[in-house]
Amino acid sequence: MHPLLGNPRRLAIYLLAWLLVALLLTVGLRGQIDWVTAALFFIPVSLVFALITQSAWYVCRVFPIASSRWWVAGPAQIAAGAIAGVVWIVIAGGWSRALENMGADVDVRLTFLAQRPLLLVVGALLYWLVTVFFYLVTAFEASKDAERTNVELGLLAREAELKALRAQLDPHFIFNSLHSISALTATDPAAARRMCLLLADFLRETLRLGGNEQISLAEELALADRFLAIEQVRLGSRLTIAREADPQVVNCLVPPLLLQPLVENAVNHGVAQLVEGGTIRMVANRTGSTLTITLENPCDPDRARTRGVGLGLELLRKRLTNQYGASDAVYAQEQDGQFRVEVRIPAVPAPAKAAAAKAEASA
Amino acid sequence: MTTLPDPLRVIVVDDEELARVLLRELLAEHPDVEIIAECGNGFEAVKAVTDKKPDLLLLDVQMPKLDGFDVIELIGADVPVIFCTAYDQYAIKAFQVHAVDYLLKPFGGDRLADALARARARISAREPLPAKALISEARATRAPLERILVREKSEVHVIPVAKIDYFESQDDYVALKVGDRQFLKEQTLSELEQLLDASRFVRIHRRYLLNVARLARIEQSVTDSRVAVLQDGSELPISRGGYARLKEIL
Repeated sequence: MHPLLGNPRRLAIYLLAWLLVALLLTVGLRGQIDWVTAALFFIPVSLVFALITQSAWYVCRVFPIASSRWWVAGPAQIAAGAIAGVVWIVIAGGWSRALENMGADVDVRLTFLAQRPLLLVVGALLYWLVTVFFYLVTAFEASKDAERTNVELGLLAREAELKALRAQLDPHFIFNSLHSISALTATDPAAARRMCLLLADFLRETLRLGGNEQISLAEELALADRFLAIEQVRLGSRLTIAREADPQVVNCLVPPLLLQPLVENAVNHGVAQLVEGGTIRMVANRTGSTLTITLENPCDPDRARTRGVGLGLELLRKRLTNQYGASDAVYAQEQDGQFRVEVRIPAVPAPAKAAAAKAEASA
Repeated sequence: MTTLPDPLRVIVVDDEELARVLLRELLAEHPDVEIIAECGNGFEAVKAVTDKKPDLLLLDVQMPKLDGFDVIELIGADVPVIFCTAYDQYAIKAFQVHAVDYLLKPFGGDRLADALARARARISAREPLPAKALISEARATRAPLERILVREKSEVHVIPVAKIDYFESQDDYVALKVGDRQFLKEQTLSELEQLLDASRFVRIHRRYLLNVARLARIEQSVTDSRVAVLQDGSELPISRGGYARLKEIL
């Protein structure tokens, strides 16, 4: 969108500025001609040229200052200025002839012819001035845009963070677990008690770890284990779990509750949707400086997809993008009834001191 | 000696064994209730309801393949239902399909006793069962159908809509053509048309609803009428209005 042509107010201010230029030219280059004739010569020519120089906007758009090579943009802008200068003296020449025909002072045309080289330079300079003006406008708007985007991103990130944390604890998970406990109290009181303790541990750990910036992968995996152990009581033989974590990676730092939406999805949209159930496979390893956590679960390819699937993944993606800046941290794929999600984040080992202190505390 | 009322013959449907165990335990306190079947999924439920004609269904909502509402759709609301679920967001829909009650897990014996009393009242009052259309209506609030459920006696087929070539209206039924196979569903073509994604299924004729992805070409026959040729070579007539609708999509 052209910054001036689409906006009458700005265009008026711009033309007013050119009127000033015209008056300056009148004063500076009047020579022997009288004031009125000089003004009659310069004002219309300047205003017409003012409109023509609006085309500089499009040249600026073709050669944006941030991404163009100077050896391309430079000559192009110089050429554009030269052409504009020529256009400027052609218009001025035409107008001087017209004034002459209308019976103005003969000196107008003679003065113009004498000052043609100077006018050419002035025209080119004026054009370049407009070019600079447009570059400034572009830069200003870009910075305003960037600022707005930043604010929006910040809001979005905070919102995502909040939603993510809130989504960590699905209340239905708790209700279902309590229902299982209620069922077990009569048939298997010991199992009911175990389930109570598991649920209490899980809730306490979720609240404790959720408040941290970062936790160790070992803690995160232990939390996921607890969650899955509870779901195993509920789903019985339908849910099995396979987990492999490279001992090298368990002391890496991860954002808390990173795995929670993934294991929840794997259960609710995967295994629980299958009559025969299946295995959730969780693997954590490291390649170079990247920590990769992979979750795999069978799923029903024909399942009804109207239950907010993907929301948890989307929130996790936003959260990791916000934290690590990489937008491809979460990669999900479904193929042949197998759902697989990979999370890749920088492998940052916990500081040795803290790790040692933690080991001591737990010993 | 007092005679006990006829026992309430109940089928319990829940994919979680513990939930079934709990219902069994809680129902044991009601001598006038007899569990005639326990089902771990919707397929078993449809079969059991068809074969055993229970008085009442205790039905979980979230189950694999067929959820509670799918089961209701397939058994056609012939049986009063008490929903049992941890999710409160299905309550409105449950009452749209005339559920007797809606039990939120975890629930105890008192709440279940209330629900059973309500079911007895409903049964003895012989309240009319909801019309089919009402069930479809409850369904219509969802996104376009991605799969169609068909019951053949006690067997259930789940057919993804992408696999269906076209639907043909046959009196009170709709025939689903899937390759060489044909399934009959008790529904009108217009109802189905409204439930399906309008950009993928087009009513090309009063009697035909076509999966646009199967269309190979349109041929003009000698008279003014047009014929849709499908990828497998079969031909379907296109009405004038149907052609206009088809053109809009293509």
